[in-house]
Amino acid sequence: MTFSFKKTLLAASVSLAALMGAAKAQEAVFVLATSEVGTPTYNPIKAGNLNKATTLIFDRMVSQAADLSYHPWLAESWEEAADGMSWTFHLKPGVTFHNGEPFNAQTIKDWIPLFAGSDNAYMVEAIAEVQVVDDLTVKFVMSRPEPNMLYNLSSSFMSVVEPKAFVALGDNYGVTEVYGTGPFKLESFTIGQETVLVRNDDYTWGSPLAKNQGPAKIARLTFREIPEDSTAFLELKTGGVDMLMTVPADLMGEVQKEANLTLLTMPGQDVYYMPMNVTKAPFDDIKVREAAAKAINQEEILASVFGGVGSVANTFLISALPESHVSDTSKISYDPAKANALLDEAGWVMGEGGVRMKDGQPLKITLWTQSDSVFRRLTEVVQAQLKAVGIEAEITTFDSSMIRDQYKTGEQQAAVRSYNWDNADIVDWFFGGDRLGYPNVSMFNDPKAEELRAKAMTGSKNMEERVANFTAYHDYVLTQFPMAPIYQPVDAVAYNKDRLALPEVINGIGVGAIAIMDMEVKE
Amino acid sequence: MRAFRHPIPALSLAWLVLVVLAALLADLSPYQYDIQVLKEAYGAPSALHSLGTDEFGRDLLTRLIHGARTSLSVSVTAIAISVACGMALGAAAAWFGGWFDRAVTVTVDLTWSFPEILIALILVAIIGPGTTGTMVAIAVAYLAQFTRLTRAQILTLKGETFIEAARSLGAGNTHILLRHLLPNALAPVLVSAMLATGDAIILEATLGFFGLGAQPPTPSWGGMMSAGSALIFKAPWIIIFPGLMVALTVVAINLAGDALVASLDIKAKLRGPV
Repeated sequence: MTFSFKKTLLAASVSLAALMGAAKAQEAVFVLATSEVGTPTYNPIKAGNLNKATTLIFDRMVSQAADLSYHPWLAESWEEAADGMSWTFHLKPGVTFHNGEPFNAQTIKDWIPLFAGSDNAYMVEAIAEVQVVDDLTVKFVMSRPEPNMLYNLSSSFMSVVEPKAFVALGDNYGVTEVYGTGPFKLESFTIGQETVLVRNDDYTWGSPLAKNQGPAKIARLTFREIPEDSTAFLELKTGGVDMLMTVPADLMGEVQKEANLTLLTMPGQDVYYMPMNVTKAPFDDIKVREAAAKAINQEEILASVFGGVGSVANTFLISALPESHVSDTSKISYDPAKANALLDEAGWVMGEGGVRMKDGQPLKITLWTQSDSVFRRLTEVVQAQLKAVGIEAEITTFDSSMIRDQYKTGEQQAAVRSYNWDNADIVDWFFGGDRLGYPNVSMFNDPKAEELRAKAMTGSKNMEERVANFTAYHDYVLTQFPMAPIYQPVDAVAYNKDRLALPEVINGIGVGAIAIMDMEVKE
Repeated sequence: MRAFRHPIPALSLAWLVLVVLAALLADLSPYQYDIQVLKEAYGAPSALHSLGTDEFGRDLLTRLIHGARTSLSVSVTAIAISVACGMALGAAAAWFGGWFDRAVTVTVDLTWSFPEILIALILVAIIGPGTTGTMVAIAVAYLAQFTRLTRAQILTLKGETFIEAARSLGAGNTHILLRHLLPNALAPVLVSAMLATGDAIILEATLGFFGLGAQPPTPSWGGMMSAGSALIFKAPWIIIFPGLMVALTVVAINLAGDALVASLDIKAKLRGPV
């Protein structure tokens, strides 16, 4: 009896020590943004949507600072030819992939052609040829100037993959195995549940935008996927996780009430908007579209749905982008008098029950939305605002993962949705005449817009020209009212300050690789 | 009806009557269910709004009452369709037998091998969200139950001597089915329909919770709970009251149903060779 008791005691103390040891190690659990739940792969070339863990597995050629300027990363320096027809990149020496393969000019030469035929091929479309100048120098010969080259190289879709493993693993690359040069290696990945990363101890080539170039301070990082924000918040509150990568506006107050939690807000890259199908009555009439757009009270939505956090949207682009500076007359804001006047002009007269009529038909539309709670709430307010000018909207809710396929049918009249992107080429993505249905939910195909679009996408020699061309394209699209801008959120993360120490300054976009390199677990 | 003299069945019945009355007289409620007053959003229960207001400043009690109308009308209509179709199919299968019986039984068993929610979700995906879609989905989901129950009842009754007597007196198929068989099979089907209505309310709330039921601004209990789930810290009453309504109503239906079974003494019939 005594023996066994002692043994038990011994075993208990050993396991207790092990537990305490585990608690002291640099381990942390983060919850991915709800919009990133269910991303099926870590294959940057094939994916349409990538989560934050991607930025830790891979490095990129160029890093982008909080002010949107470009800085070295795997490329130490670069030169663009005066005519924009070639780019030369000087690569960082001594970089290796997780599987031991070296990173050099040949890697880039093998990597760029892998984009052919994928949805992300447009990122490298202007590169005619990749030339290996020497082991650490690579030259892009361009078929046309591409002022957006540095942005593309800093995008997570151009995370540098290990080309040999990429070809050898095929569709399994990014799912069962994945090799990058990043500060963390993939240990396990269960789609829709969690991703476990372990530190890459050889890492010394981090972006200069972080204080620490490597290796990372955190040894083991788990990214959990929790689709419901309030569940994720409970996990944070009870200590089950250390950080939430997004906090919706209505939970921000709850986070601030907790003594051990900190809320960190940064400029966001999302825009909420209402696309209108220009090919379907009544929105085939531009007056009805303009009226609907001007019936949206952005200020009221900001205050009531989003608790005053974030800002209103008056254009299609986030206001941090220079291309959002369109002429004042093209900006779209709430003007109920104008909306009513336009509908009168278009022949829709106010009828019984506050719904306008024309030729015996009521002004009735269907308004599509996705099932996430914030979209449903926002859509109900939009419905009430449209009703105020005599447009009756019937809401149809689709599962968030199914709605893209629904848009492809082209049956939609109007919808409430959002996008996340920080480059003006998103105007091309959502309003290009060759992507009708989805992404072009508005089914917008206008000859003048197509002309301006071609000029913006491929006819700019340098960044200044590109900004001017995109501003003109964006401006024209706004005047045709294929959508109504609504709201721009802020990015907010919440973390447990007893567990995590964040750097004072995060010189990157959102909480990604740059912030996590300087992050520490408190012991 | 002696069973309803006991307090619990009596209370259940009273609650059900109250809910049905509320649903019928919903238009008399103090506020309008679809007018947003955003300034009064997230109001806690107060003298003005006895159950508080929702995220759009609408009176929660008013929405619960109108929600009762949605939930009850959808589930009762769905079960009525289900009972009518199920009885017709089951009776025809039992009476005619042969390949027709086998075909019906196999089809019905096939739908029975899936959980109701799965069948309902598939159907709503095909028909499209909304009250009609929900109604059809629930009706089909419960069809198997009534078909099998009726079939079993008719099969046992079919061999009884009074049927033989009717036949020897020259009665036709339709006459025997409608006058002798179905009335005798009715009681257990009705009790089972009542209990199924409780399940249907839950199914309707589940579909509403997924955003597939009645579309806003029409309130449904499931939809209200779904909206409230994201606001559970900020305004817990938005999810608590509709949740209570569903729970109380379903429990009341089950208790009243049990009492009905006891008072009609049809336990034995329910236990027939289903």
